Amino acid sequence: MALHSIALRARGLLLPAVLLGGWEWASRQGSSAAYVFVSLATLGDTLLRLLASGELWLHVHTSLQRTLSGLGLGAALGIAVGTLMAQSRVADRLIGPLYHSLRQVPLLGLIPLLGLWAGQGDSAKLLVVVLAAFYPTVLNTSEGIRQVEVRLREVGQLLTLGRMQTFTQVLLPGALPSILTGFSHALAFSWLACMGGELLFSAGPGLGAMLLNGETTGQMDQVLLAVLLIALLAFGMNGLFNRLARRWVRGPSV
Amino acid sequence: MAAAPTTPVRSRLVERWLATRWSAWVSPALLLALWSLATWLEWMPEQILVSPLQVLRAAQELAQSGELWDHLGVSLYRLAAGFGLGSIAGLVFGVLLGLSQSLRSYLEPSFHVLRQLPTVALIPLFILVFGIGETFKIFIVLKATFFVVGLAVHDAVRGLSLRYTEVAKIYCFTRWQVVRSIVLPSIAPAVLTGVRIALSRAWMVLVGAELLAAESGLGQMMELGRQMFRLDIVMVGVLLTGVIGFSLDRGFRLLERRLMRWKRS
Repeated sequence: MALHSIALRARGLLLPAVLLGGWEWASRQGSSAAYVFVSLATLGDTLLRLLASGELWLHVHTSLQRTLSGLGLGAALGIAVGTLMAQSRVADRLIGPLYHSLRQVPLLGLIPLLGLWAGQGDSAKLLVVVLAAFYPTVLNTSEGIRQVEVRLREVGQLLTLGRMQTFTQVLLPGALPSILTGFSHALAFSWLACMGGELLFSAGPGLGAMLLNGETTGQMDQVLLAVLLIALLAFGMNGLFNRLARRWVRGPSV
Repeated sequence: MAAAPTTPVRSRLVERWLATRWSAWVSPALLLALWSLATWLEWMPEQILVSPLQVLRAAQELAQSGELWDHLGVSLYRLAAGFGLGSIAGLVFGVLLGLSQSLRSYLEPSFHVLRQLPTVALIPLFILVFGIGETFKIFIVLKATFFVVGLAVHDAVRGLSLRYTEVAKIYCFTRWQVVRSIVLPSIAPAVLTGVRIALSRAWMVLVGAELLAAESGLGQMMELGRQMFRLDIVMVGVLLTGVIGFSLDRGFRLLERRLMRWKRS
């Protein structure tokens, strides 16, 4: 059985190995091929060079900071608005139509407008991330709170909890799984939006700017490295969040 | 005590307002009014806010010169081509992967790693590989579609009950018969949902790609508008991308409901 599972694992590694081998082979087929298929050695050299100059660290740091601060702002705002929409039908009727129609515009499509409003700088980029985090948290918070069971609310009423207490003691814990789901969507979406914003507002450091810079100067190695890093960081943040979330929510306690 | 009787009256009024059909239009109307007022009283410079009327006029101008239709047509064509190819490829791949254990052991890890690559970040890479022509845009839409559809199909096939395949065995179905008359109909609901999500994802990615590198298309129209500080043109573009995103999504939901009618009965 163990041998069998090792064999299965090995099969999964076959395709990446073939692809890498093919890549390396293609990189040696003349200069025009090497333009696209950067050899692994060159890639390693570029990585070391960017690491040594501190440039890579700056890009990663900037992008992460932007994403996390935008995520915090957008999610806090989203949870507040989502709670309001779930608790007050008047607020729901007033905010809902605006929220749902604004949500129809693809986020990247808003970028030219945000650019005209907030300039090309950091505030515009942050705004894109905030919006990206805001949308999914509103939806999941309001649905999560609406689905908090009536009997739990009734217990809150019996205990004559105040509004704030009801929120922190009953509604928030009840809706937490749904809110965390929304937050994990928000995390993935903010990272994407951060990249989009940095790509399209092409100024200042950031992984998206590094991508764009590599593209305009035709440096494939830089582009590839940035793509790999972006994917790795997305993967890492997602994994970290899921672990934290699992520790936080130990299933519904009935 | 004196304030007590007003609460029921107020809440009854609120109830009545909530029950009316037009209550959902109140906030958009208010926003439109505020917007008009702000431009009328010139609260903000024209680079920041143009009047709704001016946006309408810009849309009319763009429509009359035919420019708008050209951009729209090109964008929709790219979307259709990339999305069509991507969903067919995703469907085929997902069914194969879901049905074959050995194929899964070869391809699944790579599939899961590759699908994590954020499409937006791949735009510059695709530009370097394919140039800034049509190929790049269709491929980026294809990529955005393929992985979402492929995953939805794969999950749906894996979720199929074993009972179905046992029935197929009793009837001595061939493989193709199994796929056509058992697998495809039973995964249809989940797949349609996946395809709908892929469509909105694809639309966003296409707009992003057009913003970054294009000589035509709605995204390019907006980007040009931004560079010329024509807020009205940008607004037309934003509204139009929203309307298209909304109609595509709504159209797909209708299709889903039509195709899934048998399920309700």
